[in-house]
Amino acid sequence: MGSNLIGRAFESFKRIGEGLRTVLMHSFREPITKTYPDTVSQIAPHFRGRLALSVNPDTGEHLCISCRQCERVCPDKCIEITAHKSPETNKLELIDFKIDHGLCMFCGLCTEVCPTTCIINTNDFEMADYTRESLVYDLRRLTLTQEESAFYFEAKDMPKPKPKPPKPAPGAAPAAGAAPAGAKAAPVGAKAAPAEGAKPAAAAADAAKPAESAKPAAAPAEAAKPAAAPLEATKPAEDAKPAEAAAKPQDSSTEPAKTVGDTTAKPEEKPTASPEVKEAEKEKAPEQGADADKKEG
Amino acid sequence: MVSDTTSRPLKTDEMIINMGPQHPATHGVLRMVLTLDGEIVTHAEAVIGHLHRAQEWQGQNRTWFQYQALIDRVDYLSGMFTSWALARSAEVLDGCEVPERAEFLRVIVSEMNRITSHLLWLGTYLIDLGAMFGFPFYPFREREKLLDLFEEIAGQRMMFNYIRIGGVQRDPKPDWFTRLRAFTKEFPDRVDEYEAIVTENPIFLKRTKGIGILPLELAMDYGVTGPSLRASGNNLDLRKTKPYSIYPKLEFKVHTLDKPEGGDTWDRYILRIRELRESTEIIKQCLDMIPEGPIMNKKQIAGMRVKAGEGFSAVESPRGTLGCYIISDGSDKPFRFRWRNPSFCNLAVVGEMLVGSPIADIMAIFGSVDVILPDVDR
Amino acid sequence: MIPNAPEIGKLLFIICFWICAIFLPVWLVSWAVGVLLPMLLEQGSPSMAMTATAETLRALTPIISVMVFIPINAMFMVLYERRALALFTVRLGPNRVGPDGLLQTAADAVKLLFKEDITPRGADAFMFTLAPIIFFAPSIFGALPLLAAITNNHSLYQITNLPTGIFYILAAASLPVVALVMAGWSSNNKYSLVGGLRAAAQAISYEIPLVLSLVTVCLMAGSLDVVKIAQQQDGGILNWNIAGGGALRGLDKAIQTKLGVETTPLITPQQSSDPTETPVAAPTTFEEVIHQYYPFEFLSYISAGVLIFCSFILLGLYLTGACAEINRIPFDLPEAESELVSGYNTEYSGIKFAIFFLAEFTNLFIVSSIATVMFLGGGDNPIPQWLLNKMPLEPIQKSLGAILSPFINGLHLIDPDTFWAAFWVIFKVYTFVFIAILIRGTLPRFRIDQLMDFGWKRLVPLSLIAFLVVVFARVLVVCHG
Ligand code: SF4
Ligand code: SF4
Repeated sequence: MGSNLIGRAFESFKRIGEGLRTVLMHSFREPITKTYPDTVSQIAPHFRGRLALSVNPDTGEHLCISCRQCERVCPDKCIEITAHKSPETNKLELIDFKIDHGLCMFCGLCTEVCPTTCIINTNDFEMADYTRESLVYDLRRLTLTQEESAFYFEAKDMPKPKPKPPKPAPGAAPAAGAAPAGAKAAPVGAKAAPAEGAKPAAAAADAAKPAESAKPAAAPAEAAKPAAAPLEATKPAEDAKPAEAAAKPQDSSTEPAKTVGDTTAKPEEKPTASPEVKEAEKEKAPEQGADADKKEG
Repeated sequence: MVSDTTSRPLKTDEMIINMGPQHPATHGVLRMVLTLDGEIVTHAEAVIGHLHRAQEWQGQNRTWFQYQALIDRVDYLSGMFTSWALARSAEVLDGCEVPERAEFLRVIVSEMNRITSHLLWLGTYLIDLGAMFGFPFYPFREREKLLDLFEEIAGQRMMFNYIRIGGVQRDPKPDWFTRLRAFTKEFPDRVDEYEAIVTENPIFLKRTKGIGILPLELAMDYGVTGPSLRASGNNLDLRKTKPYSIYPKLEFKVHTLDKPEGGDTWDRYILRIRELRESTEIIKQCLDMIPEGPIMNKKQIAGMRVKAGEGFSAVESPRGTLGCYIISDGSDKPFRFRWRNPSFCNLAVVGEMLVGSPIADIMAIFGSVDVILPDVDR
Repeated sequence: MIPNAPEIGKLLFIICFWICAIFLPVWLVSWAVGVLLPMLLEQGSPSMAMTATAETLRALTPIISVMVFIPINAMFMVLYERRALALFTVRLGPNRVGPDGLLQTAADAVKLLFKEDITPRGADAFMFTLAPIIFFAPSIFGALPLLAAITNNHSLYQITNLPTGIFYILAAASLPVVALVMAGWSSNNKYSLVGGLRAAAQAISYEIPLVLSLVTVCLMAGSLDVVKIAQQQDGGILNWNIAGGGALRGLDKAIQTKLGVETTPLITPQQSSDPTETPVAAPTTFEEVIHQYYPFEFLSYISAGVLIFCSFILLGLYLTGACAEINRIPFDLPEAESELVSGYNTEYSGIKFAIFFLAEFTNLFIVSSIATVMFLGGGDNPIPQWLLNKMPLEPIQKSLGAILSPFINGLHLIDPDTFWAAFWVIFKVYTFVFIAILIRGTLPRFRIDQLMDFGWKRLVPLSLIAFLVVVFARVLVVCHG
């Protein structure tokens, strides 16, 4: 009995020692966690993140044909499409496209049914915001730039869309004109995109929500007001002539493209850029965005 | 006078304690009403329903296509199995053949999912037992690797929507298989490490051996399935007893523990550890045997329809038998849905198991059964 | 080679930085208040009042230094634990505030200080406030006698020494339990109450093996005076109490004699003091020395072995009891998270919670220091004297002395002996802390009845047996004391 007890005690010590050794040996392994905002891990191309509307990567045309398939299939009813028949071409024309990301469950069904692969899940998952309203993304914030679209078309192995038949809506003309400018402004960003992997979408998100992303700089209390601004800004657009309205999103989509080039190019040069530098970049981006906003307004 | 008071028994009362729904260790929102005599539980009752989301009703109000995306939420730790149960029932109804490659992929991903589910259980169970700071990170580290693989094929880490009616959604790249193969190679070593830390640890043995004994009859009465039943001595595992998919082609063992007096919490632990190894073996075999070919046999469109009729099928989920019963009227919406969830039955028996154990063992027993509350409430 | 080398390096850097940051200010403050100021005062005007002030300052110095030391040290220990646990769990750990997370706990402490201080409705507000204070205070005044021991009886801290030091420390260490019961009772929360009562039950049952193991060490050393116990163990690892309470001292001396090392005069063995025996000449050969220290030949060797074995058991007993005393895993039942939410401090927030938190870590530090002084020779260098003499340390020592001499002779700022003592104490104490962290990262928690079983049915009998064995075994060997 006594020897049994001692034997058991030794056995216990051995077991505990073994456990302690195993845990201690773990301290010589490489850590598995990352310093998140500094290093973002590679995200799979099919990751179902924030929704976005892609454009034709070659011509910059908006791919949505307002067929409302996505609106119908969405189990949460979080897509709201405003479209009308253009009086001139007798074709459906997109006026506004709203997705409530606070309601969306990122099931990806809308992307599966879209006939033109317009609506896609991006790799962006950093959508935290201060108000629920600012989670409702409108057409301007949803639309991707050409470079980003090209990136996703390649990453997701999607067939490149054919350009729309000639005879575009009158509104599309300025858009087509503006596109090359955007393409020129952002080649650096386009190069940086594959290298950065997950980042372009995030950067685009920063750039594409000018007023909202002012919030890190602005006092949180004020955040609600600027957040509401773009919604108001787009309302008059809805009332305005449809042709103009259709052109606007494309115009503005090229504006952020420049800032995308800025924001992504810098981290490329300095991969170990300190958070302060990034902060400065972020502050700059919304300013430019805000300028663009004013011009539009 | 004096003798009078001493002869009269001391007046004691039973105490009723509410454990949960807000308690750090009740795994979600379960409320347990415990009647205590001192520290000993004399009666325990699980109050469920805090997570009820009307999953069956939702199914009847969504199209097939939409509902496929929702059912991962029924048991969020083993979404592949819920998808698979639905897909199989619908395929039974529809009579559509599933391509062989898709079947292999289904087995691979669901065995992966079994591993992730058991790993999460392992980590949280050790937290229940108080090893809060070191060990739980290790299973989660391996789980993370599998979740990365899931993310690559399914798009998300827990809400997969990968197994569809008629096949699977996406064919993985060759690179994916290489990574999975690498994982299966290193994983048994990791399990060895877990075992070195936990299995024979004297404190762990003290906390789990002889605690929460579940006799076989009681388990069968309550319809307990899965590892909890197998630890008590029954070898019910649908993969073997009612083989489906390509499981007949694979070589694997169903682990049971021959315990005449019923399995205790340690048995349930060791059984899951063995299943971890077994699942790894299954994945290895599948990776060797997987053929080329198509992966989908039914068009995934918004207005997808399933032929009219009734269908039932069950799969062996990490928690036990997961059944799905469907009535379809041929339209694009299911007519009636019914889920048979393992956690519901497994939770019911916990009340019986708790009687007679001290408060400190409640979490050890409850945790060992591996109940997922959304799976109970649906 | 080691994939995790950068992280280990960062942890070492944090340790070095914080230890400097802790001990430099403490040393400077106590030097300024305890040495410089009284010196200036006395030289300035040698009046009665000035002398009295100087003496008062000297007496206050230890207290002041401890008060400076304990909060900073606890902050470091929290960071140390978090980073070490991160290493074990292959994570990075806190790395945002300051370089490599250096200031994380400082920031946390500041945050906690500014949090709202909530007293729950129905709580006994007075008791509720008093509990953290009573919990924290003993760790400050309990640490005082250790100061003299770990600084090699430095003149500054001599005043803190007590002839019955270890008793005083144990008495102080058993006070916090009262605070835990108070906290549990006054919070008006069932979980807290259970936690507090568990703490009381646990402390009572585990204090017995704890005290018995220390008493046995005192028995080996023949003293209750911590300074004396620490000084006895001077001269390398063979003299430490962990090596049988001086049972290997004879071997040490014998090797010294054999190697012809200049040794300090031998302590005259007890046998020779007997007047009936002829006083032996100082032994000169290996065998003679061995015979002098192990008079019963074979029997003595065996009992020396038994003593060594016993001291390892005693250390184990002490560490187990101490773990239970300070409520660390696997004995953290009073705050068992999966059962009692957070036990006795469920209702605490803000600064009161911070005090509980800091006190827990301070207790860990004190417990480790006691283990260091009682078992591992305090500030003693582990290398035996005869080995040290063979090492080419002379030039290093000389150059160091040359650099330090102005401070030593002129200002009494640094004294090499104290410096090395402090170095070894810190090293040993934080090694114990490291072991405690490792245990925390591995073991699950006991159940309360198993805990009691283990305490009363295993540890208490074991400590009594060890006590008895030591009583008999030490007669046969010449030990300390
Ligand atoms: S991802 Fe799903 S929930 Fe979100 S908008 Fe698309 S269909 Fe709706
Ligand atoms: S399905 Fe595609 S094309 Fe149709 S409305 Fe939606 S986004 Fe536009």
